[in-house]
Formats: sequence, structure tokens, C-alpha cells
Amino acid sequence: MNNAIEVENLRKEFKAYSSRSGLKGAFRDLLTRNYKVVPAVNDISFTVKQGEMVGYIGENGAGKSTTIKMLTGILTPSSGKISVNGMNPHKERERFVQTIGVVFGQRSQLWWDIAVQESFRLLKKVYKVTDEHYDNHMNHVIKTLDIEPLLDKPVRKLSLGQRMRCELAAALIHNPPLLFLDEPTIGLDVLVKLKIREFLKEINEKYNTTILLTTHDLSDIEALCERVIMLDEGKVIYDGALRNLQEKWGEGKELQFQFLEKVDMAAVKNLTKAIPVKWELDEKEQIFTASLEDNDELISQVIAKVVAAFKIKDIKINATSTEEIIRNIYEKGAV
Amino acid sequence: MFYLSMFFQYISQYLKTRLQYRADIFVEFFSDLLSQAINLVFILVVFGHTNLLNGWNRDEIIFIYGFFLVPFAVFSAFFNIWDFNERYIVKGELDRILTRPIHSLFQIILERLELESLLGAITGLAVMFYAGSRLGLSVEWYDPILFVVFVAGGALVYGGVFIMIACISFWADARTSLMPMMYNISNYGRYPVNIYNKLIRFVLTWVLPFAFVGVYPAAFFLEKTEWYWYSFITPVIGIIFFIVSVLLWNQGVKKYRGAGN
Repeated sequence: MNNAIEVENLRKEFKAYSSRSGLKGAFRDLLTRNYKVVPAVNDISFTVKQGEMVGYIGENGAGKSTTIKMLTGILTPSSGKISVNGMNPHKERERFVQTIGVVFGQRSQLWWDIAVQESFRLLKKVYKVTDEHYDNHMNHVIKTLDIEPLLDKPVRKLSLGQRMRCELAAALIHNPPLLFLDEPTIGLDVLVKLKIREFLKEINEKYNTTILLTTHDLSDIEALCERVIMLDEGKVIYDGALRNLQEKWGEGKELQFQFLEKVDMAAVKNLTKAIPVKWELDEKEQIFTASLEDNDELISQVIAKVVAAFKIKDIKINATSTEEIIRNIYEKGAV
Repeated sequence: MFYLSMFFQYISQYLKTRLQYRADIFVEFFSDLLSQAINLVFILVVFGHTNLLNGWNRDEIIFIYGFFLVPFAVFSAFFNIWDFNERYIVKGELDRILTRPIHSLFQIILERLELESLLGAITGLAVMFYAGSRLGLSVEWYDPILFVVFVAGGALVYGGVFIMIACISFWADARTSLMPMMYNISNYGRYPVNIYNKLIRFVLTWVLPFAFVGVYPAAFFLEKTEWYWYSFITPVIGIIFFIVSVLLWNQGVKKYRGAGN
């Protein structure tokens, strides 16, 4: 059993009813409703190997959460085959959920009113974890996530960052081989994000834990995942290495210049008219941005010409960011 | 076995939560006691004006009412699912429930324990003893055992019916006002069913069997032999309704659509 997740032609349809307009329409709705079957997840297939860290990305409403909910056994698929940890999630739900951990960034697993350690204690019983296992495993988790001082505080008194670290620890009490994280870093500050990323990397290395991560923060995915699955309107539009995405879609580079004295746009354009460059000017900051294809020769030519002509305050060379690449993909449709 | 131990785990958790708010717990305890006392006085005053209803005298009616309060208290303590639709379906809390390895309905029951409702049973017992002593009822050795069995049966009937209503939320998104309506209907079970017409009696016995929460089991302790048959099937009805409701629940969970993020 090498594959942690196997999904074949998975589909989930929702019946949405569209209301007619106006008062007359409202009366008609009362009698007969217009139902529209909307596929939230539209025949997707993929497999995830044990120990992989996969980023699952897509716009709002692309079907990410629906997929995760089917993979965790919360929702029943409309059709298609699904096998997670060798089990059918919604058929053997109670046995199945013993083998997964779930963190929903926007929902709490912990009991609001009681101390964190009490929640842990109860979850430990829920998942039938022995004292020995618990001590071995959780002492380490608690230390790495640095939540020792929070354990005796009630959850309602924790900050979001503190709570999130506790949530993560709570999802790992039974040391599951598969971890689902649905926007785990939403609204967190940089330090907490870094800590959580480091921690995820560590458990992935230590226990070979498979991690499926959805997030809107692509820096999370860049830091953690080698592979991304991209979803649009319920369909997988890209499944592969993050690096390939960058190579395939990273359209050239950007050069940013700031000058010491006031420089005219026309003068700059004039300088580089022999080279295929597109200039943009940020009026407020006086930043000149040149976009050109990723070619070392051209880049150095542009820099050489500009530097020779004007006094430079700052230069930056940027590759197109993953965020931009993904924005491009969504704007243009499929890969 | 696992479920029993989880039950006690959750109860201890519940108590800890309650003890977190020290001032609150005293205030609540006294206000609960007070409202129960008012309830008691109210019952006696209201029934002071009834004399004879279709062969039942005043004290018998009070006794039935007292009995009814006990399974009702047990029901309120363990089946606190009034707001199931709002809390678990609309807010999507069921997502969390479904990612844990315990039966979903059992988890919700455990999470929503409200043990202070059990105080209502004290009022019920007080009312029963008051009415019973005026009727000159004697307590036999088997009475407490049957009492527990009947109370459990009545609470299961109540629980079953309300779970079935909660299940509607799995199929229909809209909030239903069925819960309060059902609560009103359940009140009919507090009175002797033979005062109603045939149809209502049939409904209260076989469709929404609230008569098994109040009048039928209570009739046994009032030594009304003509109702004994109904008294003794109380636990059976309770178990049947509860099992059906759990089966319905299991079907409903499959239809759960989840809430958007």
C-alpha cells in the first residue's frame, strides 16, 4: 500500500436551486423550484504517495474544500472511486478517521471553555492512544510547537497563532500517517507561519507523514510542497512539480530601477529601444520596471545601458513569482 | 465499553467546564432550583381547579404530570438537540464531529449534555410523592425498578422523536419550526389520553407516542389495570423509536452537504 490517496473520477454534485426574480417569481418558486445540478468537483483523478507533501490550490469555490471533505469522509461523493489509506472514507468512517488528522483553519477542534491540555486528554481517549505513545509522541510535538506554556490556559484566551499551534498538535495526538490541512496559516503572522512550516517538515521527515495542504498563501506551498495539484471549476488543471510550473509559465524576468535624480520615462525608453523590453513606471515611488524574457544576455545589456546613463539608487532582478504564474494560469484558463 | 468510558470522560469534561465559572454555577443552580419550585407551585395551583376528568381524579392527574417530568428531565439532559440545525448544519460544526472516530449522534449527545436539567426530575418525584401519598399508593419492591425502566423508555421515545426531527435538517436546508410545534404536541402526553378523541389518541400512541412518556407508564403506578398493557410496552416503544431514529440519522449523515467556508 504505497499510495496514501487514490482518487478516480471523483465527482460531487450539489443541487442548487435558482430563484426566479420578483414577487411573482417567488410565488412560482413556492410551487416548483428550478433545480440546477452544479458539479463542485468534476471527475478528478489523482494519487498521492505515502510521505508526499502536496499543495492543493485553487480559487475560492474551485472545489478544494469539497474534495478535502470527501477525502476525510465528511461528504459522500456523487460518483467515482476514492481510497484513502486503503479504506473508503465514508463507508468505514469511524475506523478510517483513526488514521487521519484534520486541521480546518477556520474551525476549532478544541473545546472552547477548557484548558488546552484537557482537550488533549479527551482527544487522547477518543483516539484510544496509550499513555506511552502519547508521552513519546506528544512531548516532542509540544516542545517543537512551543505550546508548553499554553497548556493550562482555556482555548478562548489564546491568540489565533497560539490556538492554531494547539490545533495542529491536537490533530496529531494519534500520530496519523496522513494529515489534511485546510488553510492552516490563514491570518497568522510570519513567525508563527515559519514555525508551523518547520514543524510540518519535521514530522514529514520523522514519521513519513503524508500531508495534503490547501492554502491561499503560496509561500506556504513554495516552502513545503514539491508537488501541486491545481484546481479550477472542479477540474484538475495542473498536477506536477511546482518547479515545472515555474519553468513553464514563468514568463521572463523583471528589472526594477530606482534613480537618484528625476528621470524621464521617454529617456529610459529611448535608451533601450534596440532591445525587446516593456517599461512600466510606478509614479508614486518612481520605480521603473522593465519586463523582458529570461535571457541573461539581454538582461545584462539593459542593465549596462541604464547604469551607464543614470545614477542608480537601487536595482532588483525579480523572477516572476509563483503567485503571478498562478494568476496568469487562471486568467488564461487551462494549462 | 469504549462508548461507556467516553460517556464518563465527557461528563467529567462537562463538569470541569461548568466549574470554570464559579460564580455562574451557584447562580445557575439556585435559579434552577427556584424555577423548579415555582413550577411545582404552579402545577398544584392549576390542577387545584380540576376535579374529575373522564374517570381520573385530580390527584391522579397530578401524579401523571409528576411522572412526565422525570423522563422529560432525562430527555432534556441528554438530548439537547434543539439547535442541531443551526449549530451543526448551518455553522458546519458537523464537519468536526465527522472527523472523529465516534458515532456522530453519540458525539453530539455528549457534547450537548446539560446535566442541570436533571433537577427537573426532583420536582417530578416530589409531585409524584405528594399525589401518591394523597391517593394512598403503596410502594412495592419492584416499583423502583419498573420506574427506572419506564423513565428510560419515555426518555427514549422523546429522544427518538426529536432525533427524527433533527434529521430533517439533513435533507432540507431551511430551518424548520417543527421543534417548538413538536414540543407543544408532546405536552398532550401529560394528560390522560382517553380525554381526547380517537384520532388524537391514535396519534399520541402510535405516531408521535408521547402518551408513553406520561400517562401510560404512570397508569401502572396508579394501579389502573386496564392500561397495564400499554404501560409494559413503554420500553419497547422507546427502543423501537430510538433505533428507527438512529437508522434515519445514519442515512441522513450521508446526505450531509457541509457548510461552505
